[in-house]
Amino acid sequence: MEGGVSSGGATAAPLNVLVAIDDSDESFHALRWALDNILKQKSETDQNSTVVTIAQVVEPLPRYAFPGGYVVETASKVQEENAARVLSRAFEMCRDSSLKAKTIILEGDPKDKICRAVEEMNINLLIVGSRGLGQIKRAFLGSVSDYCSHHAKCPVLVVKPPPKKT
Amino acid sequence: MEKPVMVVGLDESEHSFYALEWTFQHFFSPPENSPFKLVIVNAKPSPSSVVGFAGPSAAEVVTYVDRDLKMIAARVLEKAKEICTSKSIKDAICESVDGDPRNVLCDAVDKYHASVLVVGSHGYGAIKRAVLGSVSDYCAHHAHCSVMIVKRPKMKH
Repeated sequence: MEGGVSSGGATAAPLNVLVAIDDSDESFHALRWALDNILKQKSETDQNSTVVTIAQVVEPLPRYAFPGGYVVETASKVQEENAARVLSRAFEMCRDSSLKAKTIILEGDPKDKICRAVEEMNINLLIVGSRGLGQIKRAFLGSVSDYCSHHAKCPVLVVKPPPKKT
Repeated sequence: MEKPVMVVGLDESEHSFYALEWTFQHFFSPPENSPFKLVIVNAKPSPSSVVGFAGPSAAEVVTYVDRDLKMIAARVLEKAKEICTSKSIKDAICESVDGDPRNVLCDAVDKYHASVLVVGSHGYGAIKRAVLGSVSDYCAHHAHCSVMIVKRPKMKH
């Protein structure tokens, strides 16, 4: 059978996970959910076989909008600090769950960058949050989780937002 | 303590069985320590969704189609049970439910209070998906739990 999965023995196969986050609550919820329900168990049963890569995609600043060099530096510095803060928070969450983690920043369109990172880094599982948008909003605002679930070359786990408290 | 439930949707396609094998490889080996309880759900479509025409001869055709569908469902379940046994998974639930796969899978998630629903994906492009419908798409948006969509990697040319 082409592309058959090798039936392993007693040990689990190593899992390279990519978690896509931004600074939204939904993506941290997705990370938290994945850590608690999927990844922590794997790290308990099989030490060292799961590697979590936390990827944050940032929009590149439009350089042409800022005539003065000083302004460009400040704005991108703020962006860097925000990104670093988000990533370190996510990294701590992984470390608390005893998982090996690393962080990367990708610049550009989230959909493309995430799918490309999956290919380049040999990812086995992509984890994305979902904003829980309805049909219409999804058509207008676009959905990264939708795009990734169709175009990423690996299995995709879409984590739903927690049910809204009424 | 109850183990969280992982529901795996299964039909007779290779994509589905690949998704099942992938799930076993990453979440159920070693089987004794698996953190999840496995529920395998096969949806048996109703003959009316398969037979496209109405008329006097439709009744006969429906009987044959129904018998065929039952055989396919039974074969899928049997193969699933064999795979579970070969991987030493003893407490898996395998069941076949009548109805449209989209609803059957989402209902199974509610019935078993699943944490994760795993579905395979045919990897249809946008047009095929619009015309044929996509179970994985529907479930990703409507299931009341997180959804894992497992695709077979495409062969490099």
